Amino acid sequence: MAAITHPLHSLTLTFKTPNPRFTPLPKLTISATSTSNRHISGRKLTAAVIGGGPAGSSAAEALASGGIETYLFERSPSGAKPCGGAIPLCMLEEFSIPPDLIDRKVTHMKIISPSNLTVDFGKTLKPNEYISMLRREVLDSYLRSRAESKGVTLVKALVTNLDVPFQPNQPYIVNYTVNNRMKYLPVDVVVGADGANSRVAKAIGAGDYACAIAFQERIKLPDDKMEYYENLAEMYVGNDVSPDFYAWVFPKCDHVAVGTGTVSSKQYIKQYQQGVRSRVHPKIAGGKVIKVEAHPIPEHPRPVRVRGRVALVGDAAGYVTKCSGEGIYFAAKSGRMCGEAIVKASEGGHRMIDESDLKREYLKEWDSRYKMTFRFLDLLQHVFYGSNAAREALVELCGDEYVQRMTFESYLYKKLAKGNSWEDFKMVSNTIGSLIRCKLVGKQMEAFDPNVLAKVVG
Amino acid sequence: MTSSMAFLSSTPTKLPSFSPSSKTHFPINPFLSLKPQRYHFASVRAAEIGSGAAVVVEEKKDSEVKAAEEGNGAPVAAEVEEVGVKFEDPKWVSGTWDLKQFQKDGATDWDAVIDAEVKRRKWLEDNPESSNNDFPVVFDTSIIPWWAWMKRFHLPEAELLNGRAAMVGFFMAYFVDSLTGVGLVDQMGNFFCKTLLFVAVAGVLLIRKNEDIDTLKKLIDETTFYDKQWQATWQDEKKE
Repeated sequence: MAAITHPLHSLTLTFKTPNPRFTPLPKLTISATSTSNRHISGRKLTAAVIGGGPAGSSAAEALASGGIETYLFERSPSGAKPCGGAIPLCMLEEFSIPPDLIDRKVTHMKIISPSNLTVDFGKTLKPNEYISMLRREVLDSYLRSRAESKGVTLVKALVTNLDVPFQPNQPYIVNYTVNNRMKYLPVDVVVGADGANSRVAKAIGAGDYACAIAFQERIKLPDDKMEYYENLAEMYVGNDVSPDFYAWVFPKCDHVAVGTGTVSSKQYIKQYQQGVRSRVHPKIAGGKVIKVEAHPIPEHPRPVRVRGRVALVGDAAGYVTKCSGEGIYFAAKSGRMCGEAIVKASEGGHRMIDESDLKREYLKEWDSRYKMTFRFLDLLQHVFYGSNAAREALVELCGDEYVQRMTFESYLYKKLAKGNSWEDFKMVSNTIGSLIRCKLVGKQMEAFDPNVLAKVVG
Repeated sequence: MTSSMAFLSSTPTKLPSFSPSSKTHFPINPFLSLKPQRYHFASVRAAEIGSGAAVVVEEKKDSEVKAAEEGNGAPVAAEVEEVGVKFEDPKWVSGTWDLKQFQKDGATDWDAVIDAEVKRRKWLEDNPESSNNDFPVVFDTSIIPWWAWMKRFHLPEAELLNGRAAMVGFFMAYFVDSLTGVGLVDQMGNFFCKTLLFVAVAGVLLIRKNEDIDTLKKLIDETTFYDKQWQATWQDEKKE
């Protein structure tokens, strides 16, 4: 890098040296440093995207649209990833998802507290607002074929290893198996979109993260019971169904998925599943279990998300929100942002990029846009998922219309909903009030002598 | 645990039935586990007998259980068993407490309502119930007026804390006066004294039990933990 000196761009060289006085403002660096990258002659920049889910397909699509030679590796294109399958409205627009892919439009949600206090969530939804439920295999294959139409080369293979080069100018070697034959592909840039057990992350030493396990059973219900879940999803909270997450009943194309998740008590997941089943019991009695599945969900970002010319996106990076466990939108969005960042830094595939480009164009943008969202949901999880008393308070609060409106707007449009400050103040004081009351009840419950409970109530 | 796993793997095509024996492994069911011989009958909906489900669990005998099975008109099929007994109470009417039954001297006895709700939630915590669509629960703590909460919980605690603050304050004022000769009014004019006052008030408010010191430390760690995880990727850059 130091060999290429351009008299007009001497500022860019000082950016590379660890000079503490020169912390350039983002506006200055973007236009200046990209030209210090080496121009590639005779070919375009090559990129490999490992993993063909929403993150990988979006990254590949963005890369190919920008003129970069892209290879998308997916080991089982017909696989059905165990997933909630819910996507917000903004994703339909931003990623141009055709409406016929949607299995169901959820317009009502019920949240049920440990004491069975039931709140109808969704009173404020407008007629054109809903949560779309899709099958992952349908969504993933659509996104992949769209990426292919933009010029991405799809490789149906299992990536076994990624060789990280020792010299800075050497390519990355993607080792993969296809038809029981080992092959390899040298590329300039790698995007790791291979999910929670990412091989790419291991290859670059990205570090580990805590994972929650999500366990669900798909149950086919008789028609009259299925009607109840026509466009209704349910959320159960309580220590009997999960100590630090929630349990759900999500309607799918012709069955419901009943599941739960936990971070801290993975060995008891089957008992929590039984707990959900007994809570939902009358509504699923007579149903048949058609599939049982489980999958890890990352709880927070990996310590390293970009190293060298490798970037992690989606679940591989750990972009799953706490509290709601939403990951599809953030996976697709991060994939696209990463792809666009590479296109911009390489000026359409003509220049080599490096780690600082990835960090500046992709990581910094991502963090500045979504870190607050993630942090806020983490705070909510800490406050409201900690104990049964806090969960009761959460469900009480969800009965308030203002809370419902703000929650749905923030979820569906991924933008901080515009609120009115008097209502905000009321919401905050109601929150404090509910938390205090429920905590008091909780403390009384703890002090309660179980023998007294056995005597006549009242 | 193993019995429940066996159920799930051997009967994939029908909703596995809840065996009473699998309940013994439930880590959160200490109450029912105290009475193992009652287990086999806990699965029957015997709530219709007598008043108050809690009583029934303790006192029912085999013959009563049989009567319940026959008398129970609800379609409780043999393999689809209800989990435990439902919460029943004469004052709990269609998903909420009937406040008219809590009258005392013409006004609602809110303390009794709070006690009843505590008992109900404690019962449900130990014996989780399925949510009922016919009589959804609509009682939440906001129904009880704020002054009832104040009177019962806030005022005694406030009295305690104010008492502590007053005792500490009086003796500190006396102590400082005896050492420096500065009276109470003049002490308040001094910046250092004002700081000490602030620390004393904050201490009385935040540290009410010995455990609170650890709790506060953990809280500070927890609130900054997630942020540290997000910043971790930028630590590399600082090290370079």
